[in-house]
Amino acid sequence: MLIVDDETNVARTLSMVFEREGFQVQTAYSCAEALKILDNKPALDVIITDLNMEREDIGLEVARAAQQLSKRPIVVICTGYANTSNAQEALDMQVDYLATKPADLPELLTALNRLLALRTARERGATQ
Amino acid sequence: MTQPARKTGTALIVHGDLGVMTGLQDALSNSGLSVITARDLPTALLAVTQHYFDLVLVSSRVNEEGDGWPLAGVMHMVFPNSYIAVIAPDKNVVSLQAAVNYGANQVFEFTSSPLEIVGAILRRMPAVSRPVQ
Repeated sequence: MLIVDDETNVARTLSMVFEREGFQVQTAYSCAEALKILDNKPALDVIITDLNMEREDIGLEVARAAQQLSKRPIVVICTGYANTSNAQEALDMQVDYLATKPADLPELLTALNRLLALRTARERGATQ
Repeated sequence: MTQPARKTGTALIVHGDLGVMTGLQDALSNSGLSVITARDLPTALLAVTQHYFDLVLVSSRVNEEGDGWPLAGVMHMVFPNSYIAVIAPDKNVVSLQAAVNYGANQVFEFTSSPLEIVGAILRRMPAVSRPVQ
């Protein structure tokens, strides 16, 4: 899992929560850092990105780059600044989940587990 | 404006308002789709067990406020490659967020006409790739 947030405390907290849930977590503290990681085409199951970092809505670029990976990870946008414009763009991009800050962590975990289970089921179905 | 291409396949409309549903049904039928309708959740779920749907068009309010969203989520899980559109009271952050989280593709407002809704869907909906039943 890759967590992208320019607020160090948020990134670290999310990282701790998801590590406790058994995820291997990598963190990036800016869009640029995240894009550099994604350039190396890592095998990611999930990417959780903030929206406003170096500039407004730049997290959509992280989401877009993640969707270009050969094995598309589950893409979650977590933001305190959702508006109709960026939410519409997230919908148009078919982002998997849009969470608002402060994130409801149990709800986010439930959603992630559901999305991961669905993806696994579909992959299994595709190979049968 | 570009005319939407004529489509094939089967659509499900789930809407509590008979007038709106009829308008949507006519517009979709005229575009070449077979249409199944449901005015409540049990009928919609029954339809899911009987048909494959390429397009599902759901009101966010079927019988009570907000009950259409989880139905859209169910449709997305059952028909992951199908196009899911939801008609909501407003196209605001809350409804757009619900659309993302329930796996919908597009949101329309209650004030949109059936022709506007169907035209917009057909312009964006990918062509049906499986054989038509």
